Amino acid sequence: MSAVLDTRRTGTTIWSHRQFELVRMSAIRQLKARYRGTALGVLWSFANPLMMTALYTVLFGTAFASYYGGSTHRYLFSVFVGVVVVTLFLQATGEAIVTVVANGGLLNKIALDPETFPLAAIMANAFQQLVTTFPVILVLAAVVTHDPLRVVLVPFVLAAVVALCAGFGIALSALYVFFRDLSYLWGIIGFIFWMTSPVFYPAALVPAGVRPLLSVNPIGLGIAALREVTLGKGPIDLGVVGMFLLISAVALVAGHLIFRSLRRDFMDLL
Amino acid sequence: MRTTLAADRARLTETPARAAIVLDGVSLTRRTQQELQYDLKRSMFRLISGRIARVQRRTVLQNVSLRVEHGEKVGIIGPNGSGKSTLLKVIAGILTPTRGTVDVDGTIAPLIELGVGFDLDLSLFDNILYYGVLLGHSEDLVRAHADEILDFAELREYREEPTKTLSSGMAARLSFAIATEFRPDLLLVDEVLSVGDERFRRKCAARIDRFWDEQSTIMLVSHDMLTVARTCDRVIWLDCGELRFDGPSQRAAELYLSTIPSVANFRRGEDLVKLAETNPRGEVLVRGTSGHPQLYLVRDGCRHPIASVEWCLLHDYSDTDLVLIDDEVIMQVAEGETLR
Repeated sequence: MSAVLDTRRTGTTIWSHRQFELVRMSAIRQLKARYRGTALGVLWSFANPLMMTALYTVLFGTAFASYYGGSTHRYLFSVFVGVVVVTLFLQATGEAIVTVVANGGLLNKIALDPETFPLAAIMANAFQQLVTTFPVILVLAAVVTHDPLRVVLVPFVLAAVVALCAGFGIALSALYVFFRDLSYLWGIIGFIFWMTSPVFYPAALVPAGVRPLLSVNPIGLGIAALREVTLGKGPIDLGVVGMFLLISAVALVAGHLIFRSLRRDFMDLL
Repeated sequence: MRTTLAADRARLTETPARAAIVLDGVSLTRRTQQELQYDLKRSMFRLISGRIARVQRRTVLQNVSLRVEHGEKVGIIGPNGSGKSTLLKVIAGILTPTRGTVDVDGTIAPLIELGVGFDLDLSLFDNILYYGVLLGHSEDLVRAHADEILDFAELREYREEPTKTLSSGMAARLSFAIATEFRPDLLLVDEVLSVGDERFRRKCAARIDRFWDEQSTIMLVSHDMLTVARTCDRVIWLDCGELRFDGPSQRAAELYLSTIPSVANFRRGEDLVKLAETNPRGEVLVRGTSGHPQLYLVRDGCRHPIASVEWCLLHDYSDTDLVLIDDEVIMQVAEGETLR
């Protein structure tokens, strides 16, 4: 009764060269399809965070300035960092969730690792940010903090944000094969994540009794870590940064394991 | 030029130690479609009301063992749902067997069949590039071959057009061209010769014939015993997921035709002999054994020409009730009724 698995597929590690090529080509395909016929192309991924930041600053900037040392600028920077993280997370996971099912036709034709497709969706989104918002955040950190350690940590925190997206995206895309209404549920959960992340309001505004609940939200933690390295004052709080790096690594591994444990039945449902 | 049987046999005797394909006791069970829990909401209700649906599994392949040597041309036949296409998918590595082992030596072309997962918004060139890399070729190699692929598919002027501008026939041509451009060691063909118009079909057939003449190992799935018997030396006959026969195609053809529930010969004039087959689902196939009589399918009072018998099955015309040959009604069959 012992099942002997096909060595061609179980023998490959996730970052083999072929796997990397597949993810790269698949991500390029998504970017090409998305920006085909657009004038501004990848610059559109700037539009969303900039517009939201402007909106929040106009609406709440003066009201909440007192929580940001009386500076509307600091509020604006803080909102921008938060918006970048939360929009990247929601957009990347929202796109990744359907990818395995959407590529069911290909998976039924060519022997491929299905994890290629959610990973490619995450990579395509990460690339967009890499050429638009991420450099801005790095410059922001240098200008605001003047702290070499903080600036050095910025890429690590950004990489952790991407890893967090990947962990969730991979796991969701596997679950979506079995539950095709998961995308609606994820839309609601995404909104809860968005509202419970202190993006445009200061965390101090939330009643002390509720605040521990907010820290369950991994995106909130990511925003806190990124704000610490881009806008923080005085001695750096390595605790919040380290905690987020750890949690995003756990999310990535957990997402990968969930995917592996479910993929046995994929082909019967695609 | 098609190689002779003798030449094929001679080549088989000097095959290397490792066979092209070895399946050892392969069984495959799959989840049935009825038990699909597509819906989280419904699953939750089930869970709450204590009715946890057990996943139903169905055996699709049962203890299939076979060995195919390099350069062999093997036909796979069997009724609908007997596991023919599944067997190809197991060999291609798309499906992993529940039990048993699969050993394949060499590169495999994708399953050639109708309908491909092209990205409709991308240009033809980008789709070729993407597809080629998915097949395991380097980007540079695919780039170098892109124009040849477009030339074979006769779609060069569409190079930078989005793929959605292609008709379904054009898309099928492109998919065939990509799949066969990179000389695979192992070609898996699932009802291929219904691609495009008549002229392009002949072109495809010529290309397949070239593979036939060369060292490629070919596995061809078909409903059409006569095609298989004509083109393959060896036939594997699947029935309900089990290997029913594995041997010379002539012997297989005799056995196969003798088991079909109703084979009727129709005589109209001297030379036109029809062979009609029905399968248990009530499908009716009619073919002429002399020349190429035109086949029609009649639905809703309209007459549709049928490209081939395979086409009829592929498009699942299971409720066909009237078939015309040479513009003349030959038979009328109600569903479930058999020909006598």
